[in-house]
Amino acid sequence: MWLLSWFWLLCAFSISSLALHETDVGVVDWYKPLIGVPMWDSTFTAPAFAKIGNRDLIITATGSNVLAALSVEDGSVVWRYVFEREEKIMGYYPQDKVIATLSGPGGAIVRTFDIATGELLLERPLHSIREGLLLEPAFLGASLAFDSSSEDIFTVSNAHTVTRLDGTTGAEIWKWNSPHHASKAILIKVLSTPEAVYAIGAQTSLSKLTLQIFALSPTTGELIESRDVSSKVADAISGVFSYVEPASNQAIVAWAEEGSPRTLILDSHLQNKPTSIEGITTLAYLIDLGLSNHGQFLGQAFDGGSQIMQISPSGTNIVPIHDFDVRTLGVFFGGGLDRAGQPYIARTYWSTELNKVILDVIGGGEKQEFTLGFETNEDGIVDHFTFRVSDDKKPQVVVTSSTGAVQAFSPTDLQWSRQESLATAHLAEFVELPERIVTESTADKSEGFFARLIRQVVQAQNLPQYLINFIRRFVTGSYASATSSAVPQSQNGTLYRDAFGFRQIIVTATTYGKVFGIDSSNGNVLWSRSLGLGSAINVGGVVTPKKMYVIKTVSDGTDPEVVIIAERRNAYRMVATVVFHINALSGADLTGASTKPEFLEGIDILDRGSIESYLLEGEKKVVIVLSESLQPHLYPDNAETQEVFQKAQAQLSFPIRTLTDDGNQQIVGHKFGTGDRPVAYPTWSLTLPDGEQVQRMSPPATKGPIASLGKVLGNRTTLYKYLNPRLVTTFTVSPTRGLCGLYLLDATKGTVVYHTEVKAHSGVCDMQASLTENWLVYHYYEGEAFDGDVKGTKGYRLVTVELYEGHGLDEKTRSSDMSSYVKDSTEITAYEQSYIFPHAITTLAPTTTKFGITSKDFIFATKNNKIQSFPRRYLNPRRTRGKPTAEEQEEGLIVYDPLIPDDPKRVLSHDYQVAGIKRIVTAPAVLESTSMVFAFGLDMFLTRVAPSSTFDVLSENFNKAQLVITIGALAAAILFTKPMVQRKRLREKWYQ
Amino acid sequence: MSPILEYSSLEPSNQTIVRSVKLPPPPGFTGTKASSSKAPVKKTAPTKQSYDAIKAQRAWDFATSPAKQLPMQAFMLYMSGSGVQIFSMGIVFMLLMTPFKNVFSMNDAFAQFAPSTSKNSKSISTLPLQKLVYIACNLLTLGVGLWKCRSMGLLPTGTGDWLAFETRGPPPEVVLHY
Repeated sequence: MWLLSWFWLLCAFSISSLALHETDVGVVDWYKPLIGVPMWDSTFTAPAFAKIGNRDLIITATGSNVLAALSVEDGSVVWRYVFEREEKIMGYYPQDKVIATLSGPGGAIVRTFDIATGELLLERPLHSIREGLLLEPAFLGASLAFDSSSEDIFTVSNAHTVTRLDGTTGAEIWKWNSPHHASKAILIKVLSTPEAVYAIGAQTSLSKLTLQIFALSPTTGELIESRDVSSKVADAISGVFSYVEPASNQAIVAWAEEGSPRTLILDSHLQNKPTSIEGITTLAYLIDLGLSNHGQFLGQAFDGGSQIMQISPSGTNIVPIHDFDVRTLGVFFGGGLDRAGQPYIARTYWSTELNKVILDVIGGGEKQEFTLGFETNEDGIVDHFTFRVSDDKKPQVVVTSSTGAVQAFSPTDLQWSRQESLATAHLAEFVELPERIVTESTADKSEGFFARLIRQVVQAQNLPQYLINFIRRFVTGSYASATSSAVPQSQNGTLYRDAFGFRQIIVTATTYGKVFGIDSSNGNVLWSRSLGLGSAINVGGVVTPKKMYVIKTVSDGTDPEVVIIAERRNAYRMVATVVFHINALSGADLTGASTKPEFLEGIDILDRGSIESYLLEGEKKVVIVLSESLQPHLYPDNAETQEVFQKAQAQLSFPIRTLTDDGNQQIVGHKFGTGDRPVAYPTWSLTLPDGEQVQRMSPPATKGPIASLGKVLGNRTTLYKYLNPRLVTTFTVSPTRGLCGLYLLDATKGTVVYHTEVKAHSGVCDMQASLTENWLVYHYYEGEAFDGDVKGTKGYRLVTVELYEGHGLDEKTRSSDMSSYVKDSTEITAYEQSYIFPHAITTLAPTTTKFGITSKDFIFATKNNKIQSFPRRYLNPRRTRGKPTAEEQEEGLIVYDPLIPDDPKRVLSHDYQVAGIKRIVTAPAVLESTSMVFAFGLDMFLTRVAPSSTFDVLSENFNKAQLVITIGALAAAILFTKPMVQRKRLREKWYQ
Repeated sequence: MSPILEYSSLEPSNQTIVRSVKLPPPPGFTGTKASSSKAPVKKTAPTKQSYDAIKAQRAWDFATSPAKQLPMQAFMLYMSGSGVQIFSMGIVFMLLMTPFKNVFSMNDAFAQFAPSTSKNSKSISTLPLQKLVYIACNLLTLGVGLWKCRSMGLLPTGTGDWLAFETRGPPPEVVLHY
């Protein structure tokens, strides 16, 4: 009986050793929740302070489709809600305790959240996402208002429908459709007063904009009255603003017309006429600063001047209460409140004298001026700001910068900073750190004998100390463990790796043109650089990184170097291709183009766009940028790289996606011509069936070393792996046939090596695939099969394919060094098996290790916000159909089972919500057994995995003390027994 | 005068006393004379040739002795199983080592059976036939050992055993992956 219990105990131990230990969380991994860069172009999505009880939160909707609440004190995420990708946030509407959102085209779905906790209270579709109108800008035609007396919600959705929803259940109380449903008239806003619900619409005809106002009964939704008001406003979105005056509960509409403001006070029978306010004649348009509840808005004059306007509570009069002086650079306005709810208006501008951002705050009867502690070299320019005024009349400002940073200022000092552009990271590379130099050699060759003697004698005085330390370390010291944190003690700021190489730098580039160096041991940003605008500095523009290559690593004997190929689009839409070359340890510029060290500038390699760029690997790595005229441009461009390129030129080929005459995507293979100015010419193109189009291409997931050329079976015969290094995975769509295709192409000759087709799911092809060595894994949704219904087994499928040379055992064609033009190059056998996969995924990647000996696991980013690993054992396409024979068992094959078990112990991400992952990058550590996994997209998550367990380090529970004690005891025993044995031997000799 | 037992008078050498007493020999006693009178007639002293024949016979026995042990060894192998353990490995090592040891010390082992005519008893040319058979029998033992190795999967006979030594050159064409 006790044997059995021991057995179970052992089992429990062996299972738990596979899983992530709770003690490892935060030690071997880190997780950075991000929210994305705030969408500041609409007041309904821009960051704003929200008061909850006696604490404040910053609420924002972001470009990554996240609604988030940040802590004012430290900028941490209090809560967030990640919306589906196809369901863009139209706006958020906070009230006392709840916050409502409209999302999806035309405001398809309404949700309410608890504003303090982010708990989803209500979710209700107003129309299906497919019926949603796509308007420009997207938030047009969707509006939301809370009922003044209950929790009910009034919405305008799809620009034509007003709905009243029960605030607790979400049930529809009534629905009213605009009579102009088919016309171009659109509803833009809903206002709720106790007497009536007003829907404000607009219809443009020629230069005139007609405001349409509908008064609806709040209880039944019946139309009480409607009225058209003709105005001369150019733009219905920015030109007209409407609000409910809180004191009188009156709905007021205001706009500027022919230089002077007009107001219209709404009553349920719409009897009132617009009032023209005399005295102001230079008003161009009105700007809503979020203070409309207080009747304050900003009036922009024709001459560029700005005034704060106050509408009287009766709505009949408008008075300017403050005139701003005219500034031209970096002018932004914002509204905010103090603790008591009094309105303030602030303005930022760029002071050329101080090279700083100046903040003017108007309100509470005074004007204050501050210098904002904003670092423009680091963070670009201020795109948006919001603020609140604390009790000591000092504003706290939250800035969204052009590089995607969200920062809080006090206002002169930086309080906290969130680099939200990291949520848009699309390129990432691991860069190894140099080893720590333990002893620095001080000897120089000119040193004489006596000098050396003296130096060594002086050094020798440290010997006893060293010996003591050595013995102490030997007896008690602990060794680095594979599950220990990789953060070594900092030594005067120099970067060096830990014992196992877990500490590396992750260089990431974001679509906001900012590059970060992230410490892989804790996720901290070590350095960050904004890609400079170069010649577009005066006209403005954007720099978007396209490709990133590591061209030098520590094994080259220098600091690692990274090259970024970026596209610069200036304000006149002129495109240029720029190369940035930086030191991966410090972010310092290596091109020499930067005139000041604080600005990172690149070299304009092309004054036009580029088609593609490539890295020519070899001893000397060369970046090849392909111009639109198919000419290669090298970086670095010198005699040595020219020679490297010329030597390789004849062997090189590359596929490009091009458009055919009838507008279809196709793939054309190219080779470089000869001569001094070689131009690439097409060599092949992939012929696809009618209507089939290329969707995308992806290269092999890893280019790690290949440890074994074949798979040895139990009877010691070999299946030789098909290791063609020229394979390119291509995805196709054929909408007419409703199929998604996957091709493995030999990109030198264009031969299709492997091809498969699956049924598209409701017209969408979302195949995820990854190829490593000879192993292809792809994932898709199966809603129907080729022969019709799948009968209740709809779901995600994972297919695993392995390609082997020849047509049987022991057949080899030497695929890895074979030419594409050899007949045998497509002689392959594919072993494939299909499985039911438990999750929808966003991406997948195989693990990579230093020598490629360790078996490869696949890491999946699932749509339920987890990073999970699935072992090779389950994904082996040669799993047996019946009970495995002894030989198959020897190989480690298990019986085929259609379902891949969803083992929660294989979840790498603990209980973090790792949301919105778009890519997983894996990299080897110094330990062969361990691979680093970095997932990014929205959040960032890094961990280590050991697919075959850490076989190359001493186990955690290795008892060093026991070993030392045993050796010590044995040594003592020898010392003790040696004289005894000697005496005995001597005595024995007498008796011989 | 007390009588004295003269045992020495019984000795054949003291012919005089025996003859004088004329005592019959005790039952079962045969004088050496009687026996010695027979032998020279039928069996002379062994000649060199007969010794050589016997030696040759013994050499043949020795030469085939490894083969005779085979059934026992096969049984031991059967008992030791096909797993790679200390016991089966010990037996396999013995099977693989003894043939070589035997063959290398063959000349010494056969020296005792060398015919008297041979000049050098340790020469390879003495008893050539027996030695050949001896080698063959040892090879038989070795074969059994190898067969055992093979069944344990210790012989590098499959392509898989040589896979690690295969090399591949750089590919003749290079695709620029993006």
